[in-house]
Amino acid sequence: MGRVKIKRKSTLIDMTAMSDVTVLLLTFFMLTSTFLQKEPVIVNTPSSVSEIKVPTSELVTILVDQERRVFISIAGSQDSTWSSERVRKDVLIRAANLYNETHKNKIEFTQQQVNTFAKINMFGYPLASLGEFLDQPQSKQDELVDPSKNPNAGIPIDDNKDLTKPNEFQIWMNAIYNVSRDVMDKDGKTFESAIKKGEGIAIKADKETPYEVVHVVMDNLQTLKMNRFSLMTALKSEEE
Amino acid sequence: MAQIETGGGDGKGKGRQKKMQIHVDFTPMVDMNMLLITFFMLCTTMIKSQTLQISLPTNEKVDQAEQNKVKQSEAITIIVDSDRDEPDGTKPGRVKKNYVYYYEGKPGGEMGIVDNDGNGMLDNNNLKEIEFLGNVNGQAQGIRAILRERNKQVVEKVDKLKEEWRAKKITDEQYQETAKQYRNDSTLKRPTVIIKATAAASYETLVNALDEMQINSISKYQIDNLNASDSALLLDYLKAHPRN
Repeated sequence: MGRVKIKRKSTLIDMTAMSDVTVLLLTFFMLTSTFLQKEPVIVNTPSSVSEIKVPTSELVTILVDQERRVFISIAGSQDSTWSSERVRKDVLIRAANLYNETHKNKIEFTQQQVNTFAKINMFGYPLASLGEFLDQPQSKQDELVDPSKNPNAGIPIDDNKDLTKPNEFQIWMNAIYNVSRDVMDKDGKTFESAIKKGEGIAIKADKETPYEVVHVVMDNLQTLKMNRFSLMTALKSEEE
Repeated sequence: MAQIETGGGDGKGKGRQKKMQIHVDFTPMVDMNMLLITFFMLCTTMIKSQTLQISLPTNEKVDQAEQNKVKQSEAITIIVDSDRDEPDGTKPGRVKKNYVYYYEGKPGGEMGIVDNDGNGMLDNNNLKEIEFLGNVNGQAQGIRAILRERNKQVVEKVDKLKEEWRAKKITDEQYQETAKQYRNDSTLKRPTVIIKATAAASYETLVNALDEMQINSISKYQIDNLNASDSALLLDYLKAHPRN
């Protein structure tokens, strides 16, 4: 009769609050995130006290690996009329024209190839075989630009100073510069002015890269009269 | 996952509306969210890279005369170099140690690069080895102390300005603007720094050297190629002080 009933307590925990928090966090991360861009070589940039931020738009990043292989990444304007895709398309067509002016073996790209090119963040492949490269599936392309799998990856560069016979790096930079004149963002700031001021070109190289390698790139830029540029660094705090 | 508990309906209170309690189990939802958060956390770059802006002279040979104008007495030449392991195939060897050297004025001083006594060593090698030490206990060390001393007039003014900025007496823009003016003030005694890097020098040391220019408010600096007398000084220095 006098049995005490032991109430069975439910072990259910109300997860609603937890769910609220996680959704909030998720929203935060989704909104603030800029995805890591795929790059053919991973570099560890040196640190510097300079606090100037890398612009997210209207920027040409020149990545140099330790063995003088060069890759270029182009970011267009924030304005949707000059999105990165459109700038890249224009640059490719311009580069092909410049290449054809100085080479016997003419190159031409199909619309399909141009569209594929526009989607690639960082490219680095000799112009003569770029067409074939663009026909490959994505995974094969990644393999072809990876220097550890394909030693011929990268944009060919040498210490040429004769602009009547530009090397491929110079062709690309010239093409970018030509296109940049038209690229403008909402505030009327042109890509060209960014390049002239040195904000539009950034060299990215590893800490350990020998100076002679970086020097070749700098020298090429000097030859192209692009004397001002930025070096990509990581922030170092300097104690007083 | 959703449970509907029908409470209060033990069959006694007839006609009473059944109270429905709905429990939705959010655990799987939380699991999924956590996964997504992890994904976004790993894929984002929170720290944006910084840039260091430099401008180089044009490659045209017109500025040869301009370069000679650099007053030798005011010039400091910094040479950066790195000791590397044997190259691994086409890949350059790993950096063992970074070295910094400097000389003031002309290479070899007034005597120049000469070996009059014929002992195979330069008579007056004014190249000195130094290090990037930064500040130790708030005191500039190594190359910084030397550059700071040479650029004393500007550094003092900029430091004073920085104090004011710290105390929030002036705005950020004012600080930047005035500091820039001081750096470019030709009435002050300012040194000219020539930064030279050997072929093997790591990119890091070059950036370190450029950094020192910023820290010491030096506005007149240039990156130049190593010339014959610089190489001679360096070789001679290494002969006298071999690296172990």
